[in-house]
Amino acid sequence: MSMGGAGGLGRRVREARPRLVRGALHSLLLAAVALFFLNFNLVGTASPSKRYSQDLVYAWFGDEAWLYPRPRAPAPGRAAAPHVVVVMIDEQALALRGARWPAPVEFHAQLLAELEVLRPRGILLDFLLIDPAPRTDICDLLGVAARLRAGGTALYLAVTQPGDLATLQAAACLDASGTPLSVDRVFTPVSVQRQADDSDFVGRHYPFEQRDDRQAPGEGITSAAVRMYCDATPAPKGCVTRLTDAMPANAGFELAWSPTGDPFNQRWAAGSCVETVSPLRAILNKPALPRESRCPPVATLFARVLLNPAEDPTLSAERLFTLSDGAFFMVGGNFRGSADLVTTPLHTLLPGVYYHAVALQNLLAFDGSPKVRKEYRTPKIAFYCYDLLVLWLLAAIFLWRQQWLHGVRPLGLSPFEISPAARGWIAPFFARFPTPVWIVAATGLLLLMATYHDLQLIAVAAAIVTVIIIELRVARGSEIRERLRGLLLYLAAMCLSLAVIVGAVWVGYRWLRLPPGDWLGYFSFAAFGFFLAHTAILEFGRRIDELYAARTAGGHST
Amino acid sequence: MKTPLVVLLASVAGCLSGASADQPPSPSTGQNACRVPDNRVLGPRMSERPLPLLSGDAAHGFRPACTVPWSTLSPDKQSLPVVGCYQDNLLQLANDAACGPGTGRLWVSIRWVRTSGEQQRAQSTPTATCQRLETGTYAATRDFPATPCTPPGTAPDGDANAARPAATAAAPSLPTPGATATTPAAPSAATPRPER
Repeated sequence: MSMGGAGGLGRRVREARPRLVRGALHSLLLAAVALFFLNFNLVGTASPSKRYSQDLVYAWFGDEAWLYPRPRAPAPGRAAAPHVVVVMIDEQALALRGARWPAPVEFHAQLLAELEVLRPRGILLDFLLIDPAPRTDICDLLGVAARLRAGGTALYLAVTQPGDLATLQAAACLDASGTPLSVDRVFTPVSVQRQADDSDFVGRHYPFEQRDDRQAPGEGITSAAVRMYCDATPAPKGCVTRLTDAMPANAGFELAWSPTGDPFNQRWAAGSCVETVSPLRAILNKPALPRESRCPPVATLFARVLLNPAEDPTLSAERLFTLSDGAFFMVGGNFRGSADLVTTPLHTLLPGVYYHAVALQNLLAFDGSPKVRKEYRTPKIAFYCYDLLVLWLLAAIFLWRQQWLHGVRPLGLSPFEISPAARGWIAPFFARFPTPVWIVAATGLLLLMATYHDLQLIAVAAAIVTVIIIELRVARGSEIRERLRGLLLYLAAMCLSLAVIVGAVWVGYRWLRLPPGDWLGYFSFAAFGFFLAHTAILEFGRRIDELYAARTAGGHST
Repeated sequence: MKTPLVVLLASVAGCLSGASADQPPSPSTGQNACRVPDNRVLGPRMSERPLPLLSGDAAHGFRPACTVPWSTLSPDKQSLPVVGCYQDNLLQLANDAACGPGTGRLWVSIRWVRTSGEQQRAQSTPTATCQRLETGTYAATRDFPATPCTPPGTAPDGDANAARPAATAAAPSLPTPGATATTPAAPSAATPRPER
């Protein structure tokens, strides 16, 4: 480039700078307004939208490894990756050992003895053992638990408060050598507290620990999945501290759910474990989330199958050992009337133990760095700044599009607006009918569309086709070409906006550990012209700008 | 609209055990381990894993006693007689010393051991089979399911095979005593033809 050329470019940049700065500032103002409305939680309306958009992402892509990586079957001769298996106790399992609900301590002792053969990595008993039980039963349980511990299997017991182990401790059991069996040494107490979203009571959110506001982070009872995951890491204490540090008392992480069931469950599940939900369903106004999936996303071994091979003769001992190799067993109950159920986003109601199982799956999938909402992050404002940055980009694209559109269509008509010629054709058509007739007819049609959702898409498509046909018949050729250019520009801007949204959600998910809940908000801003409604703020800003400029100019002149 | 999975799981349980979800729970009697006369424990299913033993009885409840390797129960690796049975899933052995004194006769879950009753049943269960004929077509016994024939020696898909009932899953590799009626399988586009 010659010196003259470089000088010319520099001059053009200098000349354009005020315009660029003004454009940047205006788009920033627009983005700030958008951010406010995205987070304007009037009567809690913003939260369901974010949660629903998060559910949609997992429903559509939850079985994709790039979104939710899950352990695959190990290669022959290789150690199995840590994974989660739910062991489900039900009435039939209890009956096999002559027991009845509630599952007695002695049954748990027997089940642990059976599970010992499988040598899992860890076992959680998702049962509250707080009722009085015979001392011999408690000692049996602690004896088996101590044996499992000695064999390298970590054991976890559900508690609701620190004193819940007192019943077991009071038994003062001794092992075979006469040494006291301390409950604390064989069982790690873990919290099984559940959190549900206020708006829909769905369990998407898993607490790091159970503590009240007076306790410092890390002082509460660590949640089951967090403790189990951290104990399997080289530095368990550091892991717990990292996850719970600087978090508010009710903080937790978001659970990624896969719509697909675990393949192991196909042996007992009534329905298919391969659930596919296409985004096209949402576009076609069909339910976008999977209906009742009869196949949970965690491998499930029924205790009655473990105790009695006749329940599933095809489940060989070898398959059992493969399943349990490197597994965390989460023992839970599925009893009629026990009400231990959790509402999940993609599998409707599941027995409560799945909540902890999926949480542990998440921790394993994301290497101990699960997705955490902005509300619980520190410094919180930094994450909202990220939102603002994304919206700033979208606002800049919007303003750029508006500016170009103004250049392409100097009359200022939107490419989606009906042309005066078409209006001139449509209005007389309706004017043939008396006003009450066409208003009542239009009202009736809209009422039908509101009532029957399938009609909505048909009606919208029919209306678009009709308007296009009318425009093609009555509008001038130059106007149609102009409109086409405007539409192409709109499409280009929309594609660019979508690329920004995808990139922003990916960066937020992958590197900032944010759940994918903001995309629907971004998308609605970019696609449905929310900006249009709020460009009034820009006009107001420009007016203020002019007043300021006038005042400054006046000040200089005086 | 949202059926609780507890109901679904109960339905599945019903399907597996042959009972409806509304019936009171009852242990499965599918294997009938307790009705086999002179049943014997032949050995462990996985030799390297110790066996969990229980003490007690049906009246007073069972309790874990200890875990021992098979060699402790049967030092000479002989089969052991079953002296008692509970709910088709616990077998009582004559041994009352493997876990120390005072335990009484010990019990072991049928999950971890092979039994003679199980072996007899496998041999006596009428089994459907299929065979590839010289003509390239397939012949099968009348009970053979309408699924494609997997001749002996052909490795079927592991998971698909495992999901099928045991009687059909094991069908191709087992002999069929007394099976005379054959149902020729009509050749189709999917049926491989002999090379010429």
